[in-house]
Amino acid sequence: MVITRSEPAENWETQIRKGWLELAILASLWGDKLYGLDIIRRLQTDSDLLLAEGTIYPILGRLKRDGLIDSKWVESEAGHPRKYYWLTNTGRRRAIAMARYASTFLTRIDSLIEPLLAKEKE
Amino acid sequence: MSHPEKLQQRIDAYLMQLRRSLGELPPDEVNEILQEIRGHILERAEASGELTDERLVAILKSLGSPEEIAPLYQADALMARARSSLSPRVVMRGVHRWSTVSAWGLALFVLGIVGYATGFALVVAGVGKIFAPNQIGAWVGPHTFDIGVNSDPTARDVLGWWLVPFGLFGGSALVVATTRALRWTLRFARIRRPTAA
Repeated sequence: MVITRSEPAENWETQIRKGWLELAILASLWGDKLYGLDIIRRLQTDSDLLLAEGTIYPILGRLKRDGLIDSKWVESEAGHPRKYYWLTNTGRRRAIAMARYASTFLTRIDSLIEPLLAKEKE
Repeated sequence: MSHPEKLQQRIDAYLMQLRRSLGELPPDEVNEILQEIRGHILERAEASGELTDERLVAILKSLGSPEEIAPLYQADALMARARSSLSPRVVMRGVHRWSTVSAWGLALFVLGIVGYATGFALVVAGVGKIFAPNQIGAWVGPHTFDIGVNSDPTARDVLGWWLVPFGLFGGSALVVATTRALRWTLRFARIRRPTAA
């Protein structure tokens, strides 16, 4: 998870979403070249990480600056060009590393938070 | 697909607001951002069947407001502030950040220091002339050219009282011009944001 030093304090939910969103975007690009709205649709089907749809575009821009993804404008039958994104080799490696970390993290924290969830059921 | 005029105006207004909120990002970057967001809106609109005003409002709402999205593009908040601030301190902090990663940044940093130092010195001399007219002036002698306090007895004050308006206005103008020049140049700064695991 990447955090800027200059970021103002935000609520915990936003912070958690943000970290996962980056992984979710990289994961959505694992198999295909997709354009922004494709990625949004995929995230909306498979997760509820995305709040405002527009926030995905700045994240894509940052992932590109960091060399994890690349992009290209492609003319489409829709009448306006679409900007397609895909994973670079660095991005693939990062996605795998993040996925492993996330998976281990989930397993471990699961036992930690289980009592809290059990408490709720009572 | 042609949208009724009113809907088109609403889309344009949204994009205009986004352009304004993006501040002083490089123009080619701004154009690319607008093209991508415009594509998003049009495609959502086309997918919604017959586009009504309510549907368009809903599309823009789920996209998020320009004020919400624009700051996220400014990857480095410090640089973003520096690019749009009027404060020499804020601008110089951005320039300083750039100077740590680029020779261009370093050159700009030196230029900034010279510009601000000269500008502020002129203002100080202009104010000083009011309070100590005999000590402070624009001194020119055979071996001297000095604005401020004189130590060369052969030098004479060439501006006299004119130093007051010259110092105040010239100095302020130089400070403003330096700020504008630095901000303009910062558009070309490319900095990866500092990351911490």
